[in-house]
Amino acid sequence: MNRLSSAARRAIFAPLDTEARVEAVVRRLGDAISLGLLTDGEQLPGESDLAERLGVSTVSLREALMALRQQGLVTTRRGRGGGTFVRAPVENLHDRLRQRLQAHTTEELRDLSDHYAAVAGGTARLAADRADKHDLEAPSRSLRDFADAVDSAARGRIDGRFHVEIAAAAQSSRLTREEIRFQTEIGPLLCLPFSQAKIHRTADAQHRALFDAIKAGDGLQARTLAEEHVRDAVRHLIELRLDETWQAD
Amino acid sequence: MASRLSTDSDTVAEAVVRVSGMLEHVFTTIQQTCEQTATLLAHISGQGRRPTSADLAQLQPLLREQLSREAELISGAGFIAEPGLLSDVPAWLEWWQTRADGEVQPMLLDLDPDTSAFSDYTSWDWFALPRTTGQRAVSGPYVDYLCSDEYSLTLAAPVVVDGAFAGVAAADVYLRHFEAGVGPALRRIEGPAFLVNPRGRVTASNTATQLAGSLVRDLDAAAARGEVVLHPCEAIPLVLVTAARASSVQ
Repeated sequence: MNRLSSAARRAIFAPLDTEARVEAVVRRLGDAISLGLLTDGEQLPGESDLAERLGVSTVSLREALMALRQQGLVTTRRGRGGGTFVRAPVENLHDRLRQRLQAHTTEELRDLSDHYAAVAGGTARLAADRADKHDLEAPSRSLRDFADAVDSAARGRIDGRFHVEIAAAAQSSRLTREEIRFQTEIGPLLCLPFSQAKIHRTADAQHRALFDAIKAGDGLQARTLAEEHVRDAVRHLIELRLDETWQAD
Repeated sequence: MASRLSTDSDTVAEAVVRVSGMLEHVFTTIQQTCEQTATLLAHISGQGRRPTSADLAQLQPLLREQLSREAELISGAGFIAEPGLLSDVPAWLEWWQTRADGEVQPMLLDLDPDTSAFSDYTSWDWFALPRTTGQRAVSGPYVDYLCSDEYSLTLAAPVVVDGAFAGVAAADVYLRHFEAGVGPALRRIEGPAFLVNPRGRVTASNTATQLAGSLVRDLDAAAARGEVVLHPCEAIPLVLVTAARASSVQ
């Protein structure tokens, strides 16, 4: 049954305005480059192929690439062997992440934290119900590796691995994929604060408490701890976002 | 057979044969990979050199053929090298997968420990079990976050060349495909019936009260009390659990 007015239908199916689509492409590719998912020197697919994959016109795509060039995130070479290439030197990674963090409003980060906490909490509760001793071997190794990791990138990688292992222990492929998606979207930003020893130690203690609750089969406690862990992590990010001295340096 | 206690010995026996037949069929496919890999590696060793990742590309026609022939059951197939086997890379999976759109593609994993948290694959059951026992293994059900992000069973067998472990040949069976294959036989059993792996993890079931992925504890004790009957699935390490009929329990 169709209760939509014809005007509403027209609005729903009206083409997205070009500007919004250009911005969406800039953000998608810009995030992927800033977060290190596309690496320095990597060649992007050809313009028509890329436009088709992203579902935008080649005109919109060209505008987006121009914006990315202006941000210094891609470079274009003409002629044989030419094309569009990612520019993301490792030594600037921290600056790029900082810029990316500043592109998120605190409201967006808060909403992300709500979503992530809901998923992480539900996942932890299921893991407490379903994990057996064997499922906990991998996260147990990650606990040790996380405590020993010295730089923030390694800490971030192992933190991510620990949470994927917990999701897998919940026996849910959907929740595992969701966890991986969060890490792709925000993971490299979440590991920014790990350079501070105190935050690293707190995260380590939270991981251990969460692990123990899951091992004990205490689903409610596991859920509470996982939610707190996510909220804490995003709170640190928001604090960085609001810290003007950090922004200025 | 424990026919006196079982709910319906014919349907139970049929389900056991179905489970065993399906997974033995997957092992037959894996055996091809084992043999072809062993032959390839022995040939290279005969040339007085160590194999490289490029040499393993010779397995590609076989793996592609397996995936298209067994599309309803097998979604990933290949050979996973023992770290240190190859001369050009520290570790390698010659692994092919059928994507959701039906296309067969190689899986290219980041195995660099400096950039990937998942570079060490030697702790996964599908690798560790054949390596430590020298026997074939059924691992899972588990969420395969390394390759497919799917809830899967991985069947694997060791590849041995000149008496030395060279890696494992394996195949992925997504749990939904396994369930589609064994579901009808399970549903023909009267009363609740489900398959568990050796750790008590439900693998497929005919009842909403025991769903795949849940853990069933103390099955042996329940069997000893006459509450359930355990039926091994021949040489496959899964056990079919059926309810004991009240009238059959003395």
